[in-house]
Amino acid sequence: MANNVFNVQVFFVVFRESLEAVIVVSVLLAFLKQGLGGSADDPVIYKKLVKQVWWGACLGVLICLIIGGAFIGAFYGLGKDIWGKSEDLWEGIFCIIAAVLISVMGIPMLRINKMKEKWRVKLAQALVKKPSNRKDRFKVGYISKRYALFILPFITCLREGLEAVVFVGGVGLSQPATSFPLPVVCGLIAGIIVGVLLYFFGSSLSLQIFLIISTCILYLISAGLFSRGVWFFENYKYGKQTGGDASEGGSGPGTYDISKSVWHVNCCNPEIDHGWDVFNALFGWQNSATYGSVISYNIYWIVIILILVLMWYEEKTGHLPLTKNLTLRSLNPMYHIKGKKKLELTPEEKQRLFEEVKNQKRTSGTYEEVSSDDKQITDEAKKTSI
Amino acid sequence: MLVLHSFWWLLCALTVAAKTHTFYFNATYVNASPDGTIERRMVGINNKWPIPTIRVKKNDRVKIHFTNLLNENSSLHFHGLFQEGTNAMDGPDMVTQCPVAPGTTFLFDFEVKDQAGTYWYHSHSGAQYSDGLRGLFIVEDDVPLAVDYDEEVTLTVSDFYHDVSGVLVKNFMSRYNPTGAEPIPQNALFNETRNASWVVEPNKTYLLRIANMGIFTSQYLFIENHNFTIIEADGVYVEPREVDSLYLASAQRYSVLVHTKDTVDKNFRFVNILDQDMLDFLPEDLEVISTNWMVYNKKNPLPKPLKNDNIGTTFQDLLKRLNPVDDFYLVPLSKEKLLPDADVVINLDFTMEPLGDGVTYAAFNGISYVPPKVPTLMSVFSSGKYADNSQIYGSNTNSFVIQPNEVVDIVLNNMDPGKHPFHLHGHTFQIISRSPEGQDEENPIKFDPSNSNHTDYPEYPMIRDTVQVHPNGFFVIRFKANNPGVWFFHCHVDWHLEQGLAITLIESPFEIQKQEIIQNHYDSCNRTNIPSYGNAAANYGETKEAWLNLEGENLQVAPLPEGFTQKGYIALVLCTIIAIYGIFSIYKYGMEDVTSEDTEAMIAKLYDILRKNGDTVGNEYHDEAEEPLT
Repeated sequence: MANNVFNVQVFFVVFRESLEAVIVVSVLLAFLKQGLGGSADDPVIYKKLVKQVWWGACLGVLICLIIGGAFIGAFYGLGKDIWGKSEDLWEGIFCIIAAVLISVMGIPMLRINKMKEKWRVKLAQALVKKPSNRKDRFKVGYISKRYALFILPFITCLREGLEAVVFVGGVGLSQPATSFPLPVVCGLIAGIIVGVLLYFFGSSLSLQIFLIISTCILYLISAGLFSRGVWFFENYKYGKQTGGDASEGGSGPGTYDISKSVWHVNCCNPEIDHGWDVFNALFGWQNSATYGSVISYNIYWIVIILILVLMWYEEKTGHLPLTKNLTLRSLNPMYHIKGKKKLELTPEEKQRLFEEVKNQKRTSGTYEEVSSDDKQITDEAKKTSI
Repeated sequence: MLVLHSFWWLLCALTVAAKTHTFYFNATYVNASPDGTIERRMVGINNKWPIPTIRVKKNDRVKIHFTNLLNENSSLHFHGLFQEGTNAMDGPDMVTQCPVAPGTTFLFDFEVKDQAGTYWYHSHSGAQYSDGLRGLFIVEDDVPLAVDYDEEVTLTVSDFYHDVSGVLVKNFMSRYNPTGAEPIPQNALFNETRNASWVVEPNKTYLLRIANMGIFTSQYLFIENHNFTIIEADGVYVEPREVDSLYLASAQRYSVLVHTKDTVDKNFRFVNILDQDMLDFLPEDLEVISTNWMVYNKKNPLPKPLKNDNIGTTFQDLLKRLNPVDDFYLVPLSKEKLLPDADVVINLDFTMEPLGDGVTYAAFNGISYVPPKVPTLMSVFSSGKYADNSQIYGSNTNSFVIQPNEVVDIVLNNMDPGKHPFHLHGHTFQIISRSPEGQDEENPIKFDPSNSNHTDYPEYPMIRDTVQVHPNGFFVIRFKANNPGVWFFHCHVDWHLEQGLAITLIESPFEIQKQEIIQNHYDSCNRTNIPSYGNAAANYGETKEAWLNLEGENLQVAPLPEGFTQKGYIALVLCTIIAIYGIFSIYKYGMEDVTSEDTEAMIAKLYDILRKNGDTVGNEYHDEAEEPLT
């Protein structure tokens, strides 16, 4: 793809990750608003804690950008000429990776509220968790408790951001380096805007529509990428069989394998004609389509539709069709390995957790103020919490 | 007394009368290693390879009983011989005969009249002659040559492949060779071997009969410190011309005189070079330059072989030193004047392009030669009064009917950036115009009758039977239709002949019908189940319509589809539908989130309002609402 300025996949990856980061911030801010850390009583503390959250988030994002930039820059600086003769093979592999990554991260965007919910639970657990080692209580525990509302968003944003860097690398490495900066910036801005809107307006209809539209575009692109990946593999194979002089010849006859062709037009080649590369990026258009590229495009969509149907069914009935015990989460092998089943909370447990968060912080606040009454207050907290 | 005298004269006459040479040639496989590297399967005669040189005198009769003991079809064509009155003996498959099937014996029986010089014979089935079925055919004149020489020596040069011709053709005519790149030879042979030594005596004049029996590449030839004097080209005597080197395209021949030096202190290199410009790419192991030696004294050391630098610098260096003559400027000894203006002009525009099976084919005026179902000569014989209607010979055979003694011009415009040697069976022709190399494929030089540069014909044009056209250029040849027969005109690069670069001339069809096709040839057709009666589609009947009916004829492959075909449209529509359905699913799934959340909030709000206004229903709900609905 000859897009030298705006790499669409990178945009969407950064958008999604920044959206999650903003959600983390908004959840923490929501906790604070609800009275976490004595903020309901004291506006000074409230302001301090809010600042901590913001600092943590921004610093986390900043460091990620730096690391990401360095990583991508180093990779490009070291030279991309390792592709050489297997260029088509590498392009194909990258396209497939990108399609898979985008597909996996795309669907959760349709359940922003689930995402918010997940973060509420995670952050709440992090806040009430006591450090296991007694000794550390005094050193790291002191600092972590004091600056919990800095560390938490910082680490979360850092982790999400590094995830984004890895995704961006996987998705965009086959493209020229100049196509990176603009989509990164745009993705950040778009993610922040959407997160802010989410915070202020909750999950309103118009926001959801926006998310749906962006997800649709994302999946169109991803389907196109998947099809392109398969097309690159077929092109690579043909190139090997002809000794490599086929696609140099442009779009005319002799540049493709007639026995595998579904359609071929001599114009509109995404690799050399202007404008058609955008068509290719959005819809996976090829001027010379093969059975492989067409069939893979259809299969991709069928799989996505199937997954959506299964997820929808599970939400409605609590389990997958035909089996009473399975859920989609349980199909992931990591689920059983990490024993996540035990970590799932019932609604009652969740409610208790949130109450605990509220009450605990109300009395402990910052150690500056209540250090003398520490023990007494924590005892009291234990009594009041359920 | 008179009787004795006449008897004596009769005896004399008989001794100088035409001789009949009878040969029994069995085509057999022979394993050989001509270039000294690998051993490969060659096609030889009577279990020997190289095959014998045929040497006859002018007006002799030749009878060859040719038996095919191979596993594939075969044939023999006598390149350059006019076959006057014996068109059926010319040799090309499906033009004048059916292919000679394995196990069949085919009889060639003809006289060599009105010509003398250096000719050769070779297989005319596929690319079989690159497997070795090629040899010299020398016709000695009945009068001594105009020049003096001491000894006659023959020399053949050719390109050489390690692979068998069947494999080469299969890989060449494949959709995995989209550019139509011809197979690259491994090296070149000099008298069917390499690193040969030619022992000479000092101060002698040798007559060298040289033929290029290659299947593809033209060759340069030179001897260090010696010149050649050309006296014959393709069986046509020319005014002697001294040159420092020769350029022979495939199938061309020259007879040259070489005069050896007085001293025997040095030996000299005799070099033959493949014309690298004809090769699409140069593999590492390709030996373009082959060194042999002219040895005056065996005891003296031989000069080192010339370097084979495949980057091309050595080839280019050598070329700068050589000055082979442009054969357009040779002058026939007969001083035959330019023939009068043509009665028939055959215009051939030559192009190459891939057709519907992804293979690149060669075409004249868009038509690529496809062999008819009935050999064209047999169509002539069976069609009676319809024989002069060119339609019966097929729509895909580039057939042209010529009337007796017409002067014919063939204008060939080469719109391909390659060099091509074209050969006309049954005739020599005057080369009356040839353009230099054209710029590029987009702007070939086409013959323009109104351009005086193009029509500035020489008074005594050069005459020969194989002529090379320059890349993106043209040539015009002229001959008189004085030899009735079905004559093939084609590129002598056999790969291009496989791609269909040929036309068929049916010259004086009613005169042809006065000749004969012997029963042995019809038997050969029956053995291969190829019809020998009918038009190009093997149709025949009582009426003209029946003879003009070409239903069922062999046609070239359909062209590549332009743009979308039915399956393309179906695929595109299918993809669009499924993408739309996919988007719809995403929308449905996404909206689920909204509806549940929004409705909860909405319901809670409603109950709130009710409660505020004192509704008891709202109270109940308010208690329940403490527990968040998930």
